[in-house]
Amino acid sequence: MEVTMDPLFLAWSYFRRRKFQQCSEICTKILQDSPYDQAAWSLKTSAFTEMVYVDEVDVDQEGIAEMMLDESSIAQVARPGTSLRLPSTSQGGGPSPAVRPMTQSGRPITGFVRPSTQSGRPGTMEQAIKTPRTTSTARPVTGSTGRFIRLGTASMLTNPEGPFINLSRLNLAKYSQKPSLSRTLFEYIFHHENDIKNVSLVFIFAAKKIDLHFIMWLFDLVQLFSLQALDLAAQATEHAQFKDWWWKVQLGKCYYRLGLYREAEKQFRSALNHQEMVDTYLYLAKVYQRLDQPITSLNLFKQGLDHFPGEVTLLTGIARIHEEMNNISSATEYYKEVLKQDNTHVEAIACIGSNHFYTDQPEIALRFYRRLLQMGVYNCQLYNNLGLCCFYAQQYDMTLSSFERSLSLVSSDEEQADVWYNIGHVAMGIGELTLAYQCFKLTLTFNNDHAEAYNNLAVLELRKGHIEQSKAFLQTAASLAPHMYEPHFNLSILCEKIGDLQSSYTAAQRSEDAFPEHVDTQQLLKQLRQHFAVL
Amino acid sequence: MISSPAEVKNGSGDGGRWLDAHYDPVAGLYTFSSCVDLADLSGDGESRLVVGDLGTGSSGMKLKVYRGTALMSESTLLDLPAGLVAFFMDLHEPRIPAVAVASGPCIYVYKNLRPYFKFTLPGLEINTLEQDVWQQVREGQIDPMCLKEMLESIRKKDAVPLSIRSLRFLSLEADSMDDFVQLHKQQPIRRQTVITCIGTLKKSTTDEDGVSCLVIGTENSDIFVLDPEAFTILSKMCLPAAPTLMDVTGQFDVEFRITVACRNGNIYILRRESNKPKYCIELSSHPVGLVRIGKNVVVGCTDESLQGFTQKGKKLWKINLPAPVTTMAAMDLPTRGFQGVLVGLANCEVHLYRDKNLLSTIKTPDTVTSICFGRYGREDGTLIMTTKGGGLMVKILKRMAVFDDRESAPGPPLAQSVRLNVPKKTKLYVDQTLRERENSLAMHRAFQMDLSRMRLAAARAYVKALESSLTPVSSSLSEPLKMNAVVQGLGPSFKLTLNVQNTAACRPVMNLTISFLYDENLYRMRNPFMRIPLLVPGLIYPVETFVECTSDKGISDIIKVFVLHEGKSSPLLTAHINMPISEGVAFS
Repeated sequence: MEVTMDPLFLAWSYFRRRKFQQCSEICTKILQDSPYDQAAWSLKTSAFTEMVYVDEVDVDQEGIAEMMLDESSIAQVARPGTSLRLPSTSQGGGPSPAVRPMTQSGRPITGFVRPSTQSGRPGTMEQAIKTPRTTSTARPVTGSTGRFIRLGTASMLTNPEGPFINLSRLNLAKYSQKPSLSRTLFEYIFHHENDIKNVSLVFIFAAKKIDLHFIMWLFDLVQLFSLQALDLAAQATEHAQFKDWWWKVQLGKCYYRLGLYREAEKQFRSALNHQEMVDTYLYLAKVYQRLDQPITSLNLFKQGLDHFPGEVTLLTGIARIHEEMNNISSATEYYKEVLKQDNTHVEAIACIGSNHFYTDQPEIALRFYRRLLQMGVYNCQLYNNLGLCCFYAQQYDMTLSSFERSLSLVSSDEEQADVWYNIGHVAMGIGELTLAYQCFKLTLTFNNDHAEAYNNLAVLELRKGHIEQSKAFLQTAASLAPHMYEPHFNLSILCEKIGDLQSSYTAAQRSEDAFPEHVDTQQLLKQLRQHFAVL
Repeated sequence: MISSPAEVKNGSGDGGRWLDAHYDPVAGLYTFSSCVDLADLSGDGESRLVVGDLGTGSSGMKLKVYRGTALMSESTLLDLPAGLVAFFMDLHEPRIPAVAVASGPCIYVYKNLRPYFKFTLPGLEINTLEQDVWQQVREGQIDPMCLKEMLESIRKKDAVPLSIRSLRFLSLEADSMDDFVQLHKQQPIRRQTVITCIGTLKKSTTDEDGVSCLVIGTENSDIFVLDPEAFTILSKMCLPAAPTLMDVTGQFDVEFRITVACRNGNIYILRRESNKPKYCIELSSHPVGLVRIGKNVVVGCTDESLQGFTQKGKKLWKINLPAPVTTMAAMDLPTRGFQGVLVGLANCEVHLYRDKNLLSTIKTPDTVTSICFGRYGREDGTLIMTTKGGGLMVKILKRMAVFDDRESAPGPPLAQSVRLNVPKKTKLYVDQTLRERENSLAMHRAFQMDLSRMRLAAARAYVKALESSLTPVSSSLSEPLKMNAVVQGLGPSFKLTLNVQNTAACRPVMNLTISFLYDENLYRMRNPFMRIPLLVPGLIYPVETFVECTSDKGISDIIKVFVLHEGKSSPLLTAHINMPISEGVAFS
């Protein structure tokens, strides 16, 4: 006789092994037999939630709408060192863009890609909708539509026969009184249902022909489903006589998603009073970052560290803020602190490594990247960095083989473009101009918008004496990346040489805007001004 | 609106030598140093400030008189004032000076603030051919087109320039010529010059209240000295260029010296005996301010410098200023034997120089456009400034104020002591150099081999890209082109802009077309085939089209763009555009 396992236990086991599809299938069977089995219902809800779960703590990217139509910022021009919006190059410890490349917002690039490190805040609406929206750094319109629609598509595919829980028929008041059920139900609504509803609405929307008013209504509804979660959370909190920190955190999350940052702050603060939790600190810090109060955020993290000394996530948070505020030396200090606690922290190793690389110590950067390799990080970017470090640390025998391996590991055109660009750089370094030329051309083949490659190609063309080509490339580079000073400066020099002083002056001024401390630009400007003043 | 005086006082970092008497940021005074003067206009021993206000530049020109902090009177001027001076024109008692305002070709003389006399410059010689042509027009012998041709030929050939009316006529469009001719043909033509600068010259005495002649410089490069009572021309002198700034010293009947800065960047010094310039100072850039201190001339130039010259044109010194000069004025305190130069700078500062030494710096809330120093009210040392924003500022020199020369601090420059942040060479680095030294041969060989392999790989990839015309840059000799693409929009509609540029030195490119390759299930394009116009070298041609995303799955794809030559199947250029994910949803 075959001994069958208790189906609920089996489902639980599947859940523990993260096989959510099988888990939900078994739960469905159990629920068909006994529709009122609360344990099975709860498990199935959790399984659905886990399928689409995204860690809310992780910094999510700000959408265009949140960035451009920001209402919560108090001062339009914040004082230096108090805002994430103001890239300040002159602040203590900030590297110069001549040494370390800049992102579009004028912040030095980091060693680890995470949301919002690449593009930063654009200055104008045009910039916002233009440059950063290639596929590699697609910025959603709003935090709540872009990401959740995309996630929603995934959850829709997992559950084709229709929604599991019909939210509109749910008596939230009843569920909120059962603490064990209400939590799973909440997470389900928050992570899963929100998206399903969005997408099904979108389908209805696409099927019918509807006017613009409908869009407004749709956006209201999107909010409404967050509100449903909010409603449940509020009722449950009330039921727990406002003493349950968990529900307060959930309330805060709902408020955060609705964009009510001040309310979210209140909830998180109150939750912290009941129970010190790392998560709550992270959420609250996230709220402050969204409100553009990095200093408060830093203080909060430090307060959190008093309660949870050596907590890696808190330390990483501090380091990230320092990095975003262009204070690289402090950021490195904290990343080092992170490594003391967790010596396999990829982000910390990568950031320290890149910092060493850009502060003229490639041999140390090499150590860090090798450490990453030992840890099993095996990708194109790492080999690319290793190759560069080897080249600058004069370990020539390793350089090109690293790049070769990097080329064999590329997964997208953008990566390939970057690797070719770096090979081109190495070729320039050893005087192989033909190879460099080919490499930069290849870079452009794989990535049409590679402004650095355009700039370098222009310099090579100029050496060949092709002035028109060179000028055209520089103009393209300048229009593709107005934040870089090199194309402007090179264009300025070129125009000055061919006698077009007016263009030279305007280009030099743009270069000065991008990099005010650049001495050569200053000298060129001075020279031009003298030229204009002289009879 | 009015900032508190305390704030202004803190802002002026000149060691408290000046008292802030008055500051009105909204006085609405738009003027320059040449149109400001101080004079005792009522003979009661109290000086007034007389200002020729330029208004908006086209209207609202006024003659304003201030007494203390209040505007005492204002009267409308007909034209933009070019200069304003107060001078004694007769020997009547009480000694009340007249005010002469130069504007256009006229000098308006005011006495007791009432219009008293108008002097007009004599007309200039008229081109006889031009006169004949207009005569013919009046008689209806030639039509406007013919007139235009004839005037143009006169303008090119003849030595005597055309009149303003003919020049204006030549600049007109064909359809408005008739009206212009009808309107003006009856009047005789005249050629008038305009006054550019004005000054005063004592007639025969050096007394403070002696009778003065007016000295005027005109656009026609002449200098006239006018008799103060009869307003007849006492003397006429010629310059090689149009004067812009003027300084006059001496007495007309004894000996005088007129220093004139001209529009050709030279300074000429004229003397009594000759009607041609005696000395010439050739500057390296245009002068913007001219002040005479004793026997020296101080000139501010557009190249942010201040230069000193002797009255014979010998260069004494030159210093560089921190910002461009906006205006200059002399500061003369005969009671204390102090003479200096006030220089208004574009960085909102007023510097006081004695020779080449900076004595004091006055910080102002706005850029100063005119400076006047002298007796105002009953106070001898008063500094009056007007700002770019139309403000009026009055400062009084403290009686105890002392100016002492500060020589610039000697010693090495500050930058010498700044330490460079050179990172230390680590032990790791030393170890690595050791490895390099020991295995140099092997490393070199490995590198050379890798390099050859890399060259091969790059060349292969490059050839592949060239064969399939994958690059966005074409370097073929016949059609050197360059293209880059920009996608704008949030979706479902995107705007695709292709910037095509011909990078040839001088050859245009013709007969080009653009076509697209895309997934028709995902995208819909308004016009998937376009013709490119003739490409002129060097210009960027934006070619725009609209793409609509028809999918709502949140997926994106690549759109390929081909630039083709008519009659050839292989593309010249290819660009792959990574479309962003559509955020919106397409209608129907």
